[in-house]
Amino acid sequence: MLCLGCVEEFEPKINDFADFLVVEATISNEMKHQTIYLNRTFTFEDETAAPETNAQVRVIDDASNEYAFSESSPGTYTSLVPFQAQANMNYQLKIAMSNGSTYSSDNTSLPTGSALDSLYAERIVTDTGEEGMGIFIDNFDDQGQAKNYRYEYVETYKVVAPDWNAIGLENIPQPVCPRTVKVDRTRDERICYGTRVSNEIILASTESFDENRLSKFMVRFVNRDNYVLSHRYSILVRQHVQSNDAFSFYDRLKEFSSSESIFSETQPGFLEGNLHSDTARENNVLGYFNVTSVSEKRIFFDYDDFFPGEELPPYADPCQRSKPKVAAGHGPEPRCILASLVDLDLIRYVVDNEDYIGPQSDGGPFYVVPRVCGDCTVLGETKVPEFWIE
Amino acid sequence: MKKVFTLAMLLVSMQFVVAQEIPRISVSFTNTDVSTALREIESKTDYKFYYLESWLEDIKVTGSFQDMQVSLILDDLFKNTILNFYISDDNKVFLLQNNQIYDSLPDDFFGKEEQLTEDEPGYEDLQDYGPLFVNTDDGSNRGMLVVKIGKENRNNRRRTFTLNGKVVNSDNGKPIPDLAIIVQGKDIGTSTNASGNYSLELPVGENIIQTRGLGIQDSRTKVILYNDGTYNFQLNESFEVLDEVIVQGNLDRNVETALTGVTLIEVEKIKNIPLVLGERDILKAAITLPGITTAGEGAAGYNVRGGRTDQNLILLDNGVIYNPAHFFGIFSAINPFSTGSAEIYKGHVPAEFGGRLSSVFDITTKDGNTEKFSGEASIGPVTSNIVLETPIVKDKSALLIGGRATYSDWILRALDDEQLNNSTASFFDVVAKYNHTINDKNEIKATGYFSRDEFSITSDSIFDYSNRLVSLKWDHKFSEKTTGSLILSNSEYKFGIEFDGESNDDFDLGYKNSETEFKIKMKYLHSDKHKFDYGISSKLYIVNPGDIVPLGNASDVSALTIPEERGLESAVFLSDSYEVNDKLLIDIGLRYSFYAALGASQQRIYQDNAPRNNGTFVETQDFDKNEVIETYGGPELRFSARYFLAPDFSVKASLNNAYQYIHTLSNNTTVSPTDTWKLSDLNIEPQEAYQASLGFYKNFEGNKYELSLEGYYKQQKNLLDYKVGAQLLLNEAIETEVLQGDGKAYGVEFLLKKNEGKLNGWLGYTYSRSFVKLDSEFNEERVNNGEFFPSNFDKPHDISVVANYKFTRRFSASANFVYQTGRPVTFPIGSFAFNNSEFVFYSDRNKFRIPDYYRLDLSFNMEGNHKIKKFAHSFWSFSIYNVLGRNNPYSVFFVTQDGDIKAFQSSIFSIPVPTITYNFKF
Repeated sequence: MLCLGCVEEFEPKINDFADFLVVEATISNEMKHQTIYLNRTFTFEDETAAPETNAQVRVIDDASNEYAFSESSPGTYTSLVPFQAQANMNYQLKIAMSNGSTYSSDNTSLPTGSALDSLYAERIVTDTGEEGMGIFIDNFDDQGQAKNYRYEYVETYKVVAPDWNAIGLENIPQPVCPRTVKVDRTRDERICYGTRVSNEIILASTESFDENRLSKFMVRFVNRDNYVLSHRYSILVRQHVQSNDAFSFYDRLKEFSSSESIFSETQPGFLEGNLHSDTARENNVLGYFNVTSVSEKRIFFDYDDFFPGEELPPYADPCQRSKPKVAAGHGPEPRCILASLVDLDLIRYVVDNEDYIGPQSDGGPFYVVPRVCGDCTVLGETKVPEFWIE
Repeated sequence: MKKVFTLAMLLVSMQFVVAQEIPRISVSFTNTDVSTALREIESKTDYKFYYLESWLEDIKVTGSFQDMQVSLILDDLFKNTILNFYISDDNKVFLLQNNQIYDSLPDDFFGKEEQLTEDEPGYEDLQDYGPLFVNTDDGSNRGMLVVKIGKENRNNRRRTFTLNGKVVNSDNGKPIPDLAIIVQGKDIGTSTNASGNYSLELPVGENIIQTRGLGIQDSRTKVILYNDGTYNFQLNESFEVLDEVIVQGNLDRNVETALTGVTLIEVEKIKNIPLVLGERDILKAAITLPGITTAGEGAAGYNVRGGRTDQNLILLDNGVIYNPAHFFGIFSAINPFSTGSAEIYKGHVPAEFGGRLSSVFDITTKDGNTEKFSGEASIGPVTSNIVLETPIVKDKSALLIGGRATYSDWILRALDDEQLNNSTASFFDVVAKYNHTINDKNEIKATGYFSRDEFSITSDSIFDYSNRLVSLKWDHKFSEKTTGSLILSNSEYKFGIEFDGESNDDFDLGYKNSETEFKIKMKYLHSDKHKFDYGISSKLYIVNPGDIVPLGNASDVSALTIPEERGLESAVFLSDSYEVNDKLLIDIGLRYSFYAALGASQQRIYQDNAPRNNGTFVETQDFDKNEVIETYGGPELRFSARYFLAPDFSVKASLNNAYQYIHTLSNNTTVSPTDTWKLSDLNIEPQEAYQASLGFYKNFEGNKYELSLEGYYKQQKNLLDYKVGAQLLLNEAIETEVLQGDGKAYGVEFLLKKNEGKLNGWLGYTYSRSFVKLDSEFNEERVNNGEFFPSNFDKPHDISVVANYKFTRRFSASANFVYQTGRPVTFPIGSFAFNNSEFVFYSDRNKFRIPDYYRLDLSFNMEGNHKIKKFAHSFWSFSIYNVLGRNNPYSVFFVTQDGDIKAFQSSIFSIPVPTITYNFKF
């Protein structure tokens, strides 16, 4: 009764799309070539962010040291020399764009931090009843200084293609449809190493705690049905000890990206970071210049370590076998099915179809699976990572 | 002009000689009829009495006299009556009603200066004194009722007297409130109060008193005043009560009062404003007047002159109603049939009110009919409403009971749509008022009110809220000049959400706040020039900010209770309505407001000079029960003045400030009314507002047209707003999510009313702006670069037109048109890549606007016939809401579809909604 034709789309009068600079800059206390990413905001129709190129980027400190950055790839700026953020020093990011506009960050200092105490994995059932592997950290700062933490991780896992076969398929050109034949495979596509970088915002704070102790804080949960657990799994967790202001920025960013309940909508608005235009009064820069103290740890475990004798998680694909016909339809331009699938590199050979006798047969000459089932490179790289320990 | 004098004059102008021999007699009477007594005197003397028998009816006399002059005996016998007498030299005694017969001309008849006695009341009004010559016939007053008040007193030197009394409806004996009482040609006037009482200072002698009021036949009465006295008017209801929207209340009230920004809404006036779903609604009528708006259709709460929705003190018979709306504000929760009137103060707020910055909605329930059983009912498509009034002790006390309920639940279930089928939506409200006149000096009124709403927002949640209030008022008259009221009230508002979905996060959430107030308000009519109001009040708030408990065994929601908050708000106030001269009237008030946040509580302490967040949290400080945590307060000035530029043209100015200690936590973009109230404490300071307004008021053609133009400028401090990304419900550290900033608002309000004629109605236009500034040296506490930005309800242009046209006595039509600029909103304006992820980013706060709002409603009304003996007066009302079918956005939201973010607006009534309602009154 309340809704008599409730909802309709409308065209909001947004005349000028806000094309802003986005700065993602974290300078750490690790001695290395520091990296800063600059790109542009993009419209909802666009898929990806355009890099901000040809900018002059530098970081200056209290002692008038200046660290210049150069563009190593479009939008990625790397410091010319390795350097590390020092305690009791203020840092400021300065950006001069190719169009002449300039941006500066607030003065930002390195929060004192503690090293990550321990990183470990446990088989758990979550509050919501999911079973799987929890990746936890314990941390204790006896100095009582570090209070705001942000975590990033990189997980790497071994993938074994279940339907890998030494025989591949190739097309030989013919007048109508190419003829598909079996060949020996040259490329190693059986064992790969997949990598995924965290994209969630993982924050922890000991502010409301009696002591600066984080214990059994879950950084990552992997459901036991996730194929990444199938063989060997490794995770590198990086801990950033960051300032209260940075914590608050990430916290607000996180609230925007989290799903909303109808009972408590988040107050929307422009998310102001610690960067400002030197020229214009308006908000036209997004992002944050963060100085963090970093420590990291890596662990490895096998599926068998936690699920001995249990069935492996399902593979990334159900790997349904099929026997595509050579061609379908009649007349001068039949559709060439099998050859097209090979051309587009969508399938892998499994076994011959014993029942195949010719075009009149039900199905084609070979049983095939989707490419991912016979080629692990869809999910990772075959090269063994340098850090990998079997 | 030739004067024709009455008998009094003729007698005065005769030559009289006082009798030389004065006879003395002895008589004694005990409760004897006057006529019997006079016959006895006649029998003992040579005196002959002349009088009209009707004057002496029911007058009994008592007294014992030994050897006394007859004149002294008569003086004593008549001292408590309105009778005078004159003894002629031929021993004739003329009895007279009211008139005193003078046997010589007054000393100053030819303009001689008189001597004043300072202790004589009203001496300053003395211009002349002496006998009164009443001009009975100037040709225009034929057929007018003539009443004589008081007995003329030979020693009288006062030239003004007080006439007071009560105005009642002759049909049912009910008092008629807000009736204009005007003295023809004398620039004197008043209006009746809620109990129908009035009091007028009148010059001695002849006064022609006119009454005009809603639904009441105009009357003219010639009152010849000899002394202070009482006159009760019995007025007839006009037939127009049933077929005309009468937009004239207190005639020239808008020009005359000293107050700026006061709006009076009477239920009778709004009767023909087109209805939504058949409900006539006093608060809906309010938003057709300048300066009062809502954030949109279906938005609960009112924005008055650029103020937030939490800045309105909504009083029903002195008790606070926190959420005066049903169904997200589609209906108001105030029963229109039981409501007498609503006075809305949006500019000058009288000193007796406080605690809210923007306005006071002072809504009064009608007094029950003390004469006979009566009632009013309406039957509509969604709701039905009935109000019954019955005397308890005839002429002394009465009970009014009103109830209203919806049967929309039944309608929802009857619908085909499965989702709606499972929805519930129901509400009801009940009101009861008992009024008891104990005697001339004491009157007691008690009101009880309860309203409840329950509906499902989604199919797996049930939302409910309720208001409850009780109030008690005891009016006492200490003397002719001093009256007082003792008011006690208690109100409670609560809501709950029950979520019972598919997964394991079912919960039951509750919120509650209550307040108890004690108030003493005194009125002292010091003189014509000074009228004082003063008193004290104190109010205890208890807020339970929320608790959540898991629902069912399978729920993994952890229970949480946010601890109770308490605060005590007190005030003393004094105001003087000072009539400097005929043209200038000043209303000056002072109020001192004082607030104490009370324990038991745990207050979080944050670092100084740092943004408040978890990172700057230092420690928790504990406070015991009733321990004072923090105090706030300050003086509030309530100044208003009126100056007549011409008799029907005035200019008014006012200056006000106020403190507010209770704030709503409201995520303005939120769809559900889960607003909670938060008391000021260690971390949250009270809001403050300062307002100046100036207005011009002009009536044309004998008050047929009213024109007003009013401007205001308002500054606010410590307005509560929210950090970007704030989460408000069930937050233990709410101070880390809120910001306190400055506000400013200004506007011009134009109103043209046509009060009479076949076509009547009003046209209002408001230009207003409202801004907020949230600035800080810290990034997270700064919004929009720390500059002023439009508030959520900044709607510069607002036009409303209400027009009624009466075809015949029985048929009339009315129309209502509203246009408003779309309110500001914050849009997502693009995406950005950060932290290996994609985020949507929003514009500066309130940078964009939703589409403009406009709506036209029409209604047709048909009366039943006016046969006197019919059981009930009835009328049919057929109305169409949103005739143009405009999809007026109620909220806007964004959905990602195929990688695009699309903007959607939802509306409540996007198609014309016809309704038919049957009303009857008995």
